[in-house]
Amino acid sequence: MSVLFSVQGVVRRYGARTVLDGVGFVLARGEMLALLGPSGAGKTTLFRCLAGLERPDAGRIAHAGVDVATLRGRERRRIALVFQQFNLVGRLSALDNVLAGRLGHVPAWRGWLRRFDAADLALARRCLARVGLAGHEGQRADTLSGGQQQRVAIARALAQEPDLIIADEPVASLDPGIGAGILELLKTICHADGVAVVCSLHQPEFARRYADRVLGLRAGRVVIDAPAADLGPAALRILYDGAIEPLDTTP
Amino acid sequence: MQRPGRWLAAACGLAFYVVCWRVAQVDPGKLAEGLPRLWHWIASAWPPALDELPLFGQRILETVAMAAIGTTAAMLLALPMAVLASRNLTPLPRLYLPARWLLNALRGIDSFVFALLFVAAVGLGPFAGVIGIALHTWGSAAKLLADHVENMSTGPLDAVLSTGAGRATAILYAVLPEVLPVLLSSALYWWEFNVRASTVLGVVGAGGIGLELKNSMDLLDFPRLFTIIALILVVVMVLDQASGWLRKRLV
Repeated sequence: MSVLFSVQGVVRRYGARTVLDGVGFVLARGEMLALLGPSGAGKTTLFRCLAGLERPDAGRIAHAGVDVATLRGRERRRIALVFQQFNLVGRLSALDNVLAGRLGHVPAWRGWLRRFDAADLALARRCLARVGLAGHEGQRADTLSGGQQQRVAIARALAQEPDLIIADEPVASLDPGIGAGILELLKTICHADGVAVVCSLHQPEFARRYADRVLGLRAGRVVIDAPAADLGPAALRILYDGAIEPLDTTP
Repeated sequence: MQRPGRWLAAACGLAFYVVCWRVAQVDPGKLAEGLPRLWHWIASAWPPALDELPLFGQRILETVAMAAIGTTAAMLLALPMAVLASRNLTPLPRLYLPARWLLNALRGIDSFVFALLFVAAVGLGPFAGVIGIALHTWGSAAKLLADHVENMSTGPLDAVLSTGAGRATAILYAVLPEVLPVLLSSALYWWEFNVRASTVLGVVGAGGIGLELKNSMDLLDFPRLFTIIALILVVVMVLDQASGWLRKRLV
């Protein structure tokens, strides 16, 4: 497997507080990595650094060999983001939201006028169909349910034709059943299209069920980097100190 | 402790109104004297002066047109200004405060005062009124929009930016759809407001029906005066209904 995304010795400080303290991992195409860790472990900060929204104080995050902190404008389209709060434009239709994923590909005036050519429209429709929302093209995004909105957000990510999807707590605002469907979808996209996925999660059982690998973050350091299948009670104790997060041991 | 405080507040409030009463030179005796005179004028205003209706019609048209052009220009100028005056959107953070100051200044000076200035600059006539209306409304509308934008979640904008869209494209795609209804409904409100306000712009020579209003008053031509007032009332009511109907369809 070839390395698509590599993170080496990433340090991020806010004032005197060190939030990320030498985080490193590599990711291959078609691999789904779950990011676990208690609140305050630095998951969100890591997400912002991986996405290029924040620059680490030290270390290097490289996507296909290019430092993500230097990616500007259109170069960003190969890394797609999925957010906890979906971040759709509420008054636009589902299809227009998916078409936003094409803005890094088309001339700017098409975005200003919201006029896309037939190929982009067809692609956006396929992306919506892929996430199970065929027939909802014209529906206003803010009238969709939470799960449907996250599906539209994933379709928007797909429309970017990315080779990496970074998802920040994509199921934290959703019911567990709905969330499982979203993760199933991400896993399918990851394995079928060869898109790498980094996904921060709250629930260890979700990580074990859907991810290929798990990265455990604690106090800004990587304390677990293991195949998801190996994620047992011992590993979780390391991660959460055996305190709050219970492990669902039912299959 | 509480009781004396309350008495003190009441005393201050009372003193404030006593001073205001004196400064404003309120004199009910004068009103009692003047009312019969006013009544006499109203009585002498019948029958209405209908022979000049075509002229009044033209002047009212001028008033409505001034308000329409001034309001539309203000709205078009308000959009870029609202971006500049929103902390979360501005591409030039250094200009954020100056932009806010400018808007507050524009808002603080009434269109009547601007018209007074521009009559001196561009000469008598409705154009001075258009500029006056445009400047004052620009400040008010842009401030309203900027406040609205600052309270909006920037999540959708971040998401669209992350697809590789340019900043201008992302703002047009993610923010404009959310503020457009506010813009349109406030445009109607401002137009309506400006029609009422611009009935007096003629008094300073800035065109419209106010000019005839002032002439009639100067000549103590009461039938003419009250005909004009009645016409203004009719036009304002019709516009009120029309814009209410339009607003309902827009939002």
